[in-house]
Amino acid sequence: MGRLLIPLTRSKKRFFAATALFVAGVFLTLPIILSVTALAGGGGGSAGGPPPEVLAAQKAAAAEKAASGEGVEGDEAKIETGRDVYYKTEGPAIGMPAPVTADNETFYPRYNFESRVLLWVANQQHLYYGSFVLAVPIFCMCIEFAGMISKDKAMAKKYDQLAYDFIRISLTAYSLTAILGGILIFTFLTLYPAFFGYLSGIFRPVMHIYALTFVAESGVLYIYYYGWDKMREGVLKWVHLSMCVILNVIGTVLMFLANSWIAFMMSPAGVDEQGRYLGNIWHVLHTALWNPLNVHRILGNMAFGGGVVAAYAAYRFLSSKTDEERAHYDWMGYIAMSLGVAFLIPLPFAGYWLMREVYAYRQQMGITLMGGLLAWLFIIQATMIGILFLTTNYYLWQALGRMTGGERFQKYIKYLVFILVVGLLVFITPHTIVMSPAELKAMGGQQHPVLGNYGVMSAKNGGINAIIMTTILSFIWYQRGNKVPTVSWSKFGNIFMGCFFVIAQLNNIWLACYGYFIPANVRIGLSVPQVAGTLSCLLLMTPLNLAMLKGGRELGPIKWGQIPPRSQYAIIMLATAFTWMMGLMGYIRSSVRLFWHVNEVMRDNSPWAYTHTIGFAANVISFNVLFFWISIMFVFWLGTLGAKKVVIKGPASQPVPGGATPQPATSH
Amino acid sequence: MVELIGRAWDLGWPIMVMLVGLLIYFQATIKDPAHKKRATFQTMIGILCMFLVLIAVSNYTHNFNADTGMLPVSLVMITSMAFIMGLYFPNISALMKIGGFMFFVASALSGYGNWLPQVEGGFPPPVVKLDFQSMSPQQLGDEGEKIIFGGIGQSKTQGAIGKGQCPLCHGFQKGFLSERAPNLFGIPARASEQLKAPTYHMNDAAARNTEQKEAFEGSGTATNGQEYIAESHACPSCFVVPGFGVKGSNDTISPMPRIHKPPISLQLGELAAVDTWMYTREGAESPGYDAIVASYEKFIPEADRPKASEGDEGEGKGGNMLVDGTESHDDLFMGAGCPACHTIPGIEGATGKVGPELWEGTNAPKRMKDAGYAGKAKTTKEYITESILNPSAYVVTDYPDNQMPKDFGLKLTGGALSKIVDYLAALEEGKPLPVKE
Repeated sequence: MGRLLIPLTRSKKRFFAATALFVAGVFLTLPIILSVTALAGGGGGSAGGPPPEVLAAQKAAAAEKAASGEGVEGDEAKIETGRDVYYKTEGPAIGMPAPVTADNETFYPRYNFESRVLLWVANQQHLYYGSFVLAVPIFCMCIEFAGMISKDKAMAKKYDQLAYDFIRISLTAYSLTAILGGILIFTFLTLYPAFFGYLSGIFRPVMHIYALTFVAESGVLYIYYYGWDKMREGVLKWVHLSMCVILNVIGTVLMFLANSWIAFMMSPAGVDEQGRYLGNIWHVLHTALWNPLNVHRILGNMAFGGGVVAAYAAYRFLSSKTDEERAHYDWMGYIAMSLGVAFLIPLPFAGYWLMREVYAYRQQMGITLMGGLLAWLFIIQATMIGILFLTTNYYLWQALGRMTGGERFQKYIKYLVFILVVGLLVFITPHTIVMSPAELKAMGGQQHPVLGNYGVMSAKNGGINAIIMTTILSFIWYQRGNKVPTVSWSKFGNIFMGCFFVIAQLNNIWLACYGYFIPANVRIGLSVPQVAGTLSCLLLMTPLNLAMLKGGRELGPIKWGQIPPRSQYAIIMLATAFTWMMGLMGYIRSSVRLFWHVNEVMRDNSPWAYTHTIGFAANVISFNVLFFWISIMFVFWLGTLGAKKVVIKGPASQPVPGGATPQPATSH
Repeated sequence: MVELIGRAWDLGWPIMVMLVGLLIYFQATIKDPAHKKRATFQTMIGILCMFLVLIAVSNYTHNFNADTGMLPVSLVMITSMAFIMGLYFPNISALMKIGGFMFFVASALSGYGNWLPQVEGGFPPPVVKLDFQSMSPQQLGDEGEKIIFGGIGQSKTQGAIGKGQCPLCHGFQKGFLSERAPNLFGIPARASEQLKAPTYHMNDAAARNTEQKEAFEGSGTATNGQEYIAESHACPSCFVVPGFGVKGSNDTISPMPRIHKPPISLQLGELAAVDTWMYTREGAESPGYDAIVASYEKFIPEADRPKASEGDEGEGKGGNMLVDGTESHDDLFMGAGCPACHTIPGIEGATGKVGPELWEGTNAPKRMKDAGYAGKAKTTKEYITESILNPSAYVVTDYPDNQMPKDFGLKLTGGALSKIVDYLAALEEGKPLPVKE
């Protein structure tokens, strides 16, 4: 291929390569697109159906009905129609109704243990690994691209090495994801056969596409990984990067398809009240909550993936024997954590959209989440958000220590700590607490005598916005750690930035206090100017700071690797908290269906159709988190077994003090 | 503690024996004193750590389904083990310290989850489709007792109340003083006598002085005892027993809600069960399911008959809760049963006359200033909350005490109570009604 392209110019080569890849990508995904659109027209045939014993019982009932003169007369075939529970359209009821289950071994075979918890663990583990292996290729794509466009050859090689390290970690995890997926299906089949029979009946065509997509994902991933060395130069490098793009497209489709099942369980569509499939697979896929779940999960996966890779880097940093290794893994951890936090910031907005759609779909579902049975879990979530931001700040302050000049900011950190702690305390103070009537009676009213005066929404918003603004300030200080702006307008720029932050913070605090003096329905509107202030700090001040630092005077190099080990524990804390929060939010999302397998269509009549206490849920989430981390540590260890010895150097442009001049990485 | 250690030993004694064997092996095989000392020390640490892990696993398995809140203790033990291993085994130091730190974080979060108030969503009520028609009179009577009093044998329990909510106003025991509505003891025999009352006007509904003459146009009046009972349930204002009408109405309006309408909404089968119980508990012969249902069909038009899905089956709130606050305002008040006795402005069907009309935004401030007010409320919302949870704290003039059930505190979730209070507090005479969900 290289010889054929010799006479062509470099830009033409790129053009042809990109075109060829686009065509290849279209061919790869065409069957999926075609099959979905064909099925949307009703090509899916009959779908949905209970297990044979239920079918037999239903047939017997129908026969009895016919014999008694009700229902269908004689053999005359009559196509029944049904009304879509969500889209309200009429369609032929070609599927069987959702099975009406009962608490017995036929519908719910069981061991001497709670089946729901077994399924919970299997599902969560599969989800953790699935998220990780879907997120890592996106990081690889970004980092490989950064390396390709980098003008610094040594740095480009370092980025390339980093991307390779990332994908190597995910490869073993990929196999484990498939194994866990198999375990999950077996768990469904053996413990919830009636439910899984119904769900797989409805999604039969989609499940086959899912399986084929998984095969395509595997093929592209292996070509991408094993072709790394073969495709490391020239146009082939672009081909290689494009493989990663295709990999991510397939991965995203894969995730969307899996999301459609849980979205259907929460907000069914495409079926009638009895759960009969109405022949339109697009309606079944495109339910009320599918898109918000897709967006939320993409961002969540990225934040989680960043956390896992950062934890890997922290582990390698702490077990490093040489300065070079420490420098490399310090840098790797920083990049991974930055990516994770970058995706963490928009996550609350995606969460807000999801909640808004939940309220729009079923208000009672929203109230159960935010103001009812599950509301205490959101208090835990608020605490965890606070922990994540505190830890991120702590890491940035530690990172300042590896820069010459970073000490200039150390004396101000205590003030930031004060703002963060006060902000967190305000943020987690509840206004009205979910409690039993007996507790309500004991308290003498709906609000606590002391706390009831605080914790209104504007104040809580004020708390979290103060925390985010402080984090932005920490990041800006980090950017300035070893640099001094030298642009002619630097003095004006500094004063402007300082004033901007002070005004934004004062505005935030003023609105937080003002909320106490106005009615609740007006108070809600204060969140808009509060968030606007924070976003302005993020979107205006960060680029302004970069503009000021362009061509700035360096006070010294970044001393990669010379960061205190406790900073690595901050990264591990972040990774663990990400994992825990993911488990928590997944539990909340699943629990909100209460006693429905498929909301309002198929009822859960198992002995576990109740919602656990918060404590029990927290214990299972902790178990899942620790199980995942123990297993992923094993994966990391396997990754080190398969790796060839590579001379690891610190980042090229900021060499390790006293170390050798960085050289491009050798072959993989 | 001793028991815990015992269980841990049972769980992992082979491993412990193996580690002790290893210790003995090192003593016998290692010659270098420094090396031997280190190996001995590390094995001892290993034994200690293994023991901590076994205790942790034992505690976890033992307390998994218990409400002891002891599970995080296992995590703390494993955390300690990991840090000890990290300190004394340099080769795996980083791994163990990281692992220990993760266990510490997870145990802290788990502990936090256990420290918060524990709320558990109860089981939904089972879906039971009762076939009243094929029941024996005894079974039908039992179901009737459940509907009236909440359970079989509960008719003798003071304060017992079921879906029908009848004991709120009616007495059922012989000689029991029943101020708000007639005592129903002896009704099977008394019913046919009532038809002869001068104000009943059998077969001449137009001659009645009541506000409502007939259950629906053309339904006519009752002609036998069972029809009289059915008419009383379906159209309480068609005939009011003297002395039991709404105050000031001169017995032309009954305070009783129509039993087939929300909030009570009994189906015909359930009504047959209720009536059967009233016959069978006195040893009287029931007219039978079909005759009772036919008597109700005379006074309830088909369109008004509640369907099975509107009854108590289907989705429920779990546990003993009537409502959980996730319902719309109309459903919330109906589910809680308030409209059976109260008129609530803005709530569809809430026209009860037993209790006061609930303009609480207007009433509460006045009542809190009343000299007879002995409650602790300082705000309107506190007053309403108090009135629901402790109705005797202040009894409105002209209304008797002990009429309103005192167990709403056990039958409403915090969210439901809060939503009810918010709505009632916003009801002020002369002002627009609050917006409903």
